Amino acid sequence: MERQEAIDILAEGRGGAISVPTMQSVFPWHEAGQGDILNVDASQCMGSAATIGLGLALAQPSRKVMVLDGDGSLLMQLGSLVTVVASGVNNLYHFVFANGLNQSTGNQPLPGQGAFDWVALAKASGYKNALKISEAEDLLEQLPGIWELEGPVLIELTIAREDGPARWAGVPMAKQVASVRRQLAAT
Amino acid sequence: MTDLQPVAFGVPAEAIAAELDALGITHVVCVPDSFQRTLIARWQSGNGPRFVGVCTEDEGMGVNAGLYMGGQNPMMCIQNNGIFASINTLKAIALDAKVPTFIMVGQFQRDVNKTIEEQSSRAVRMLEPTLDAWGVPHWRIEGPDDIGALKAAYERAWADQGPAVAIIGAPTL
Repeated sequence: MERQEAIDILAEGRGGAISVPTMQSVFPWHEAGQGDILNVDASQCMGSAATIGLGLALAQPSRKVMVLDGDGSLLMQLGSLVTVVASGVNNLYHFVFANGLNQSTGNQPLPGQGAFDWVALAKASGYKNALKISEAEDLLEQLPGIWELEGPVLIELTIAREDGPARWAGVPMAKQVASVRRQLAAT
Repeated sequence: MTDLQPVAFGVPAEAIAAELDALGITHVVCVPDSFQRTLIARWQSGNGPRFVGVCTEDEGMGVNAGLYMGGQNPMMCIQNNGIFASINTLKAIALDAKVPTFIMVGQFQRDVNKTIEEQSSRAVRMLEPTLDAWGVPHWRIEGPDDIGALKAAYERAWADQGPAVAIIGAPTL
């Protein structure tokens, strides 16, 4: 599927989940109108989306937290899979946009691309559920059920290669951190 | 042969725990450190703030930030090498994203019979210059008399909305 298709489906089906997008999912997430409410972009800290989401999930156990990760990003802090499980959270939904490329730096292939399996890695780390979705219509159909699964859940989203320059939303993370803290305190 | 005299002394874990309790710490995000072993054992036994073990210090910066946004009052517990390992997230999360990040850092491999400047370990000697290079305020805890540095570092982290470090110079008791 195209990244934009997945973003649009997740935006439509987000519900009240706190969101933590990173890298090339940030710009389209903002374009889809998801940047202002309970959202913090993992900016300039490639690999940190999962653990920022984990901290939010620990702090707000009654809310769902969705992480919009990238395959190259997650490889940078792969131990996060184990850390998430060890924490005991059950409200983390970890969407991994997988194109096998470091898109932001010019679509260089990931190390070991094709030799590892995100669903297997997640399950071996102890995620309660893990699944792979390659078609937009399948994501649309399965998303409501995904929110009903006990977390942590990893959802590998197979997305197509995109060419062209990297796009950035440019919203300072500090502004978002303060905003999310305020929004959560007010609810 | 010269008798070696300690210049740094361990602080009882109970005393540190009492200080942290007074600060209202809710979570300790930790990569294990030998100098804070007794304190970590206390937390891991369920005594005090919730213990959140992480695999790397980069992960710890992220978890600390998420907890902060979620309304909690977390801190980090790591060793000197962990600062070197996590400069990218120290920069992006603690500094640029303005997250109060109170960190206790153990001086792994520090010889307590020598001053910091006399240490053979590069990790021990370079911790403070590294923090200075990034503008991260820090305090030394070289013995029980310095325990007030915990509160000073914590309050600075919240006042600056950024990182502040209390450096544990001898193994806790």
